[in-house]
Amino acid sequence: MKAIEVENLIKRYGSANVLNGINLTVEKGEVFGFVGHNGAGKSTFIHTLTGITRKSSGSFSILGTPGGELDRVKKKIGVMPDIANLYQHMRGIDFLRYMGNLAGDMRTKRSYEELLEEVGLKGAGGKKIKSYSFGMKKKISIAQALLGDPELIILDEPTSGLDPESAIVVRKMVTRLQEEGKTIFLTSHNLDEIEKVSDRVGILTDGVIKKLGTPRELKAQAEGGVQLAVRTKPVLTAEVVNELKEKSGLNLAFVETKREFTLLQLPSDDELPRLTRALLDGGVDLYEVKVEERSLEDVFMNA
Amino acid sequence: MIHILKREFTDSIKSIRAILIILFITFVSYKSALFLKENPFLISELGKEGIKAGDVYSAGLSLIVFIFGFLFVFAISHDIVNSETEMKTMRLLVTKTSRPQVMFGKLLGATLFWVVTISVSYAIISLISQVWNGEEYLRTLIFLFYIICLAVFISTIVPKTKLTMFLGILLGIALPILGSVSMIIDKWYLVPFKYILPFYYLDQSFGYVLIPLAIGIIFFLMSVLIMERRDL
Ligand SMILES: Nc1ncnc2c1ncn2[C@@H]1O[C@H](COP(=O)(O)OP(=O)(O)O)[C@@H](O)[C@H]1O
Ligand SMILES: [Mg+2]
Repeated sequence: MKAIEVENLIKRYGSANVLNGINLTVEKGEVFGFVGHNGAGKSTFIHTLTGITRKSSGSFSILGTPGGELDRVKKKIGVMPDIANLYQHMRGIDFLRYMGNLAGDMRTKRSYEELLEEVGLKGAGGKKIKSYSFGMKKKISIAQALLGDPELIILDEPTSGLDPESAIVVRKMVTRLQEEGKTIFLTSHNLDEIEKVSDRVGILTDGVIKKLGTPRELKAQAEGGVQLAVRTKPVLTAEVVNELKEKSGLNLAFVETKREFTLLQLPSDDELPRLTRALLDGGVDLYEVKVEERSLEDVFMNA
Repeated sequence: MIHILKREFTDSIKSIRAILIILFITFVSYKSALFLKENPFLISELGKEGIKAGDVYSAGLSLIVFIFGFLFVFAISHDIVNSETEMKTMRLLVTKTSRPQVMFGKLLGATLFWVVTISVSYAIISLISQVWNGEEYLRTLIFLFYIICLAVFISTIVPKTKLTMFLGILLGIALPILGSVSMIIDKWYLVPFKYILPFYYLDQSFGYVLIPLAIGIIFFLMSVLIMERRDL
C-alpha cells in the first residue's frame, strides 16, 4: 500500500488549471518534499488530497483508500492547512483538546501540554490564540496535525515565516516522526530548506511536477560542471581565457569578471590541476581559486 | 459529530446575546404564568375563546417564541456555518471529520440550546401551573427547529457573516409579519409564505407540525448537499 497515489490530477479554478495533471506516488515511511514558487499550486494540491477542495478530474488514493472515500481514513491523516485562522477566542490547550477530540485522540490533559512543549509552545496553552504571534500560531497548527497519532502527516509550509531556531525544531520533529514510522508530506517554496529533511523532492511548475527525485539525484542533474572564481594578476579577460582554452585543450568557458575575480566554468573539478598549470604556464599569477557550489535552489528555482 | 455538537452548544450558551435571550424568555414565561395563576377568571374567559385550560399557562411563552423566534434564532445562529468558512477553520474540521458530520453536529448543537432554553421555561411554568402541555411544547420546539434549519441554510449559501447578520435581523422581523399576514389575507403573492413558513401549520391540528418539520429537514439536507460540493 502506498501512502499517497495520484494520477493525472487536475484542479481548475474558473478557467485556470492550477493543477494540470499531477502524477505522484509517495511511499509509506517516506518524507516527501513538495516545492514550488508562491502560487504554484502546492496548497491547492494539499487541499484536494485532504477533502478541503474537490478535484476537477483525475484520481488519487490515500493510504490505499480512494479519494471518494476519504472520510474513512481522515483519522489516520494529520493535516496542517496553509491558512486556517484557528479559533481566536479559544485558549491554546482548549483548541488542541477540541481538535484532539475530533481526531479521536485519547490523550490526557498532561500530554496535551507535552505536545505544546514539543512544538516549542511551553506555557502558552493557557493563553488565547488571538494573543499568539504568527510563529506561535504556526506551531500550534503543526501540533494539531499530530493529534490522533496519524500515519500520514501533511504539512503546508511548516517553516515559512518561522525564525531559524524554530525552523530547526520543526525539521528535527519531521525527522523524529519519520523514525517513528510516519509518512510525511511537506511543502516549501525553498528547495534548499526542504532538501535537508526530504527523502525525495518534487518540483511543481506550471501545474505539473517538472522534477522528481532524491536530493542527490537532483544534485547530479544540477551539476552542469563546476563554477570557479579565480583571483589572478593580471585579471583574466574573455580573450585571455579563449587563448588558454586553445593552448591547453581544456573545455573552459568564461562567465564574467567580478572585481578582481574571474568566473570560469569547467566540466568537472578533475580538470582543476590542469587549469592551474595552464594559468601559470601562461604567465598569470594565481592568488586564489574558489569552487562555487551552486545550490539546488539556484539551479531549479531561479532558472 | 458529538464534539462539534458540544462545541456549538457551549459556544451558543456562552454568548451574551444567548444569555439575554434565555433570561427574557424565562422571565416572560414566569411572569405570564404567574399572572394567570393570580387572575383565574382570565383562564375561564380565554376558555370561552376556545383556548384549552392546559394551553393557557404556556400561552405567554408561545406568543413570545412565535413573534421573536426568528429574530432570536438568527441572532444566535446566523453565522453557524459561514463563520467557519469565512475564518477557514472549516478546513481544520473537514480534515478530521466528514462534512455532513460537521453540519449535523452544528444543527444538533443549536437545537440542543433551544431544547434546554424552552425546557427550562416549561419547567418553571409547570411548577406554577402543575401542567406540562406536551403538544404545545413540541410545537414550539419544532417551530424553533424549522428556524434553525433555515439559519443553517442561509449561513451555508451566504458566505459573509456580516451579510447574514443583516439578513437575520431583516428576516427576523419580516418573516413573522409575512407569516401571520399570509394566514389572514388571501393574496396570491402571500401564498408562498403561507405554505413555506411554519405559522399556518401551527394553527392547525397537532399532526400538521410534521410539515414544518419536513420543510426544515429539507432546508438542512440542501445545506449539506451544497456544502458537500464546495471548495473550502
Ligand atoms: N479558492 C480559489 N479560487 C481561485 N483561485 C485560487 C483559489 N485558491 C488558489 N487559487 C489560485 O491557485 C493558484 C495556486 O495557489 P496555491 O495553491 O495557494 O499556491 P501555493 O500554495 O503553491 O503558493 C494561485 O494562482 C491562486 O491564486
Ligand atoms: Mg501555499
